[in-house]
Amino acid sequence: MVDSGTGLCLTERQLDERSAAATVQLRRRGVRAGDTVLICLGVGPDLLVATDAVIAAGGIVWPIPPELDAPRLRERMLASCARLMISDLPHALEAAKESRVRLVVSVADLRAYPAGREISTESDRAGP
Amino acid sequence: MSEPLRHNLPAEPNRFVGRERDVDELCGLLGETRVVTLSGVGGIGKTRLALRVAARSVPAYPGGVWLVELARLTRADLVVQELARVLGVHEEGARPLLDTVKGRLRGARCLLLLDNCEHLVDGCAHVAADLVASCHDLGILATSREPLRIASELIWRVPPLDLPDERHPDAESVRLFLDRATAAGTRLGEASRPDVVRLCRALDGLPLALELAAARTSLLSPGQIADRIGDRFSLLTTGGRTAPPRQRTLLAAVEWSHGLLSAKEQVLLRRLSVFAGSFDLELAEEICAERPIHRGEIVDLLGALVDKSLVLCDEERRRYRLLYTIRHFAAERLAEAAEGGTLRDRHLEVLCELQVRHFRTEMIEPAVPWPARLAALSASRALVDDQRAALDWAIESGNVRMGLRLCVHSTSLLPFSVNPAEIVGWMERLLALDLSDVPAERIAHAQAYLAYGLEGRDELGRALELATESLEGMGDDPFSACATRALQIMVLLRLGRADEAGELAEQIVAVATAAGDRWNEASGLAGLSAVALTRGRLREAQRYGEEALATARRHGHRWLLARIAIQLGAVAEARGDLVTAMAQYELAVPWLEEIGCDNELARCLARLGRVAAMLHDFGTAQRRLATSLSLSRQTGQRQGVARCLIGLSVLAEGRGDLESSVLAAASATTLRESIGQHAATLRIDELLTRARGKLGEGRTAALWACGRTMSPEEAARHVLTGDVAEQGPQDLPDGPGARDDRRGRGERPALTGPLVAEQPIRHSLLTAREREIATLLTRGLSNRAIAEELVISPATVARHIANIMEKLGYTSRAQIAVWAAEQGSA
Repeated sequence: MVDSGTGLCLTERQLDERSAAATVQLRRRGVRAGDTVLICLGVGPDLLVATDAVIAAGGIVWPIPPELDAPRLRERMLASCARLMISDLPHALEAAKESRVRLVVSVADLRAYPAGREISTESDRAGP
Repeated sequence: MSEPLRHNLPAEPNRFVGRERDVDELCGLLGETRVVTLSGVGGIGKTRLALRVAARSVPAYPGGVWLVELARLTRADLVVQELARVLGVHEEGARPLLDTVKGRLRGARCLLLLDNCEHLVDGCAHVAADLVASCHDLGILATSREPLRIASELIWRVPPLDLPDERHPDAESVRLFLDRATAAGTRLGEASRPDVVRLCRALDGLPLALELAAARTSLLSPGQIADRIGDRFSLLTTGGRTAPPRQRTLLAAVEWSHGLLSAKEQVLLRRLSVFAGSFDLELAEEICAERPIHRGEIVDLLGALVDKSLVLCDEERRRYRLLYTIRHFAAERLAEAAEGGTLRDRHLEVLCELQVRHFRTEMIEPAVPWPARLAALSASRALVDDQRAALDWAIESGNVRMGLRLCVHSTSLLPFSVNPAEIVGWMERLLALDLSDVPAERIAHAQAYLAYGLEGRDELGRALELATESLEGMGDDPFSACATRALQIMVLLRLGRADEAGELAEQIVAVATAAGDRWNEASGLAGLSAVALTRGRLREAQRYGEEALATARRHGHRWLLARIAIQLGAVAEARGDLVTAMAQYELAVPWLEEIGCDNELARCLARLGRVAAMLHDFGTAQRRLATSLSLSRQTGQRQGVARCLIGLSVLAEGRGDLESSVLAAASATTLRESIGQHAATLRIDELLTRARGKLGEGRTAALWACGRTMSPEEAARHVLTGDVAEQGPQDLPDGPGARDDRRGRGERPALTGPLVAEQPIRHSLLTAREREIATLLTRGLSNRAIAEELVISPATVARHIANIMEKLGYTSRAQIAVWAAEQGSA
């Protein structure tokens, strides 16, 4: 896959590897078979990885186009009843406040670091 | 005796409804990550959920689960103080309290529940980040409207309760509402179901809103409530119109419930917001009875507020409190009514009166039986939260006079209760204000009190200087003057200036005896005994000590009695009468336990253990030292740990285990050096000489070197579990270490259990299909290629791989490939 924005390529092997790692991160955060998972990401390799990972974790993918305006984002998030959302976008995070999303997982969170036992979190990067 | 609690979590006030999966998941997440913050608007149930998760997690944390309620604190610098108080950690001399707390938390795996961080979020974040960075087994569960924003924090957004729909008519929100309505005595039939559903939706599943609504079902039907709260939305006053929807819903519910209160109930509710933590009826009556409320009405008004779920209380209706959200709302109403200043003045005044009364009962009044003195001490300690709030107000409003009066009469702040750092902190803040209209005597008192704190922090020079200065301005208050001289004696003896101490002690005895002041008379006599002991006049020391003890018995205070018994023990030890010494130390133990003075107790038990070892009463020695060690660790006193190691060294040598004895002595030496203490090493030199004689130069040197690098825990374990063939370490009878802990904390000596073996490397738990896929991964095949090979879909392959990773604890496909290759070649 080629990211039309950056021209970067994601090979099939990279896709398999990244989505496998991402699946582990999702499972550790409690995603179970049959769970709806929101994905609010721009079109690109991350979207593909996230989608594969959700499916591999047994979840149901509920994509939301990030271009939507705030009320419609909120409405769809609320309608999904999802417990978890994959997104990096500030306006999506804001909209999730009025939903039932418990955890927001960023793209960086999904990249496992094989050595670590601990799970990566959204504030790792916000921290000092 | 029963196992002491490993947590301080309160009992649940009513049934916990719903959120089963959330609780499960959060318990799981706590095992995976260090800091979990439950965030969300007020009233959404963060605290309740956190308490539930914490209670479920108790078995996973051998070091305990400790709730730190931050709502009662007003300033961020009290966070560490409160944490230390909850954990039972005492300040160690001049070492920063946070360092001592960290030392304690490094021991065993524990979980801290930091509840309501939002108003001190920066302070909490700072402390939490520091703790997590330096204590690797520590977990933190926080509740806060705003995240802490520290590294490794997992932000968990608490949602409202599930709302009912066609498929789930019994959603969480409905269950909660019905449960609380039933508790309020209302039985709602099937017919009201559609209205209940409408109300739950209108309240957006917010637990607090649902509880407030359910409390009114005896008067209004669910349908009526839904309509009225709906109307409230348009009437929202307190800036709520621009707030996010959930906050608006909650505000509407709170305003609606408040609006239904009688005028007097409203007045009482807003006045209750001055209390920092929980309060009892008496305190509410003292402070809130002011026009238009009569003192006698308060009990009924309070009951009415409890019935409306605006005030919470325990089952016996002894302690009341406001939820953080309600307290905040009530405080706003108080400010609107322009009653804030008056009421907080009154709060300060009443606290001051109460503490002065408790202080006098505990210390000064003659012929008060001990149970009454103890009750005064406990009552004074129970006011610590409100006292902090009152002192804050004294500083904020510039009421130095009253602030100082409150401070110097607080036994709850005395060295045997709280940390000297807090005394020093308050005093320094108060004394830095404008003192022009404060009487000189009061300033002198304050300086004497500050000197107490400084002595506790080992700032002896400054303590002595201040105490001396304060005596000049003390005026006509023989009790305080004597108590200040007693402090001077303590400092002078520590500085090796026995002559001056002796003179002061004589003065105290003369003044106190004339005034019939037993406390100071006993403490003066004890001073004379201590002075005689340092001069080697043992008979004199004994005589004064006995007189002191007799006088102290007439006063009854356990602190005084225990100190003097220990003094007499030291005198007996000095003349070589170990049997008497042991008896004197034994005497002090229950007294110190009774007033919960852990520091002094640890010291006393260590002495006891050492003397018992010297008398070859090894069973007692082992028990006493193990308890002392556990207490010293719990209170974070490294000096206490070193003292125990020395005792254990004596014990080991007595039992003929010279090797362990050297190890323990070496470890103690390292520990003492690390705290900058170079105490007398005569005993250790003698021990090493004996060891060289019996074990040889080389072996002794090797043991010493080994012990120097050994952790105190390990060295202690060597002695306690060493060669005790006749008495296994697991058979340790219950010593005072297993005593009931009055403050709901404490732990058994954790050093006697066997080490848990490392988990063996996981064997293959994989299914046949998973093994097959693992093998294909070693060939570097992609998911799609594996799918083709096995004639399954790529999604299925991905799922199998996820399962393999979970079973093996891996995070990448490459790891599986390596593992599978090793398995294949093995």
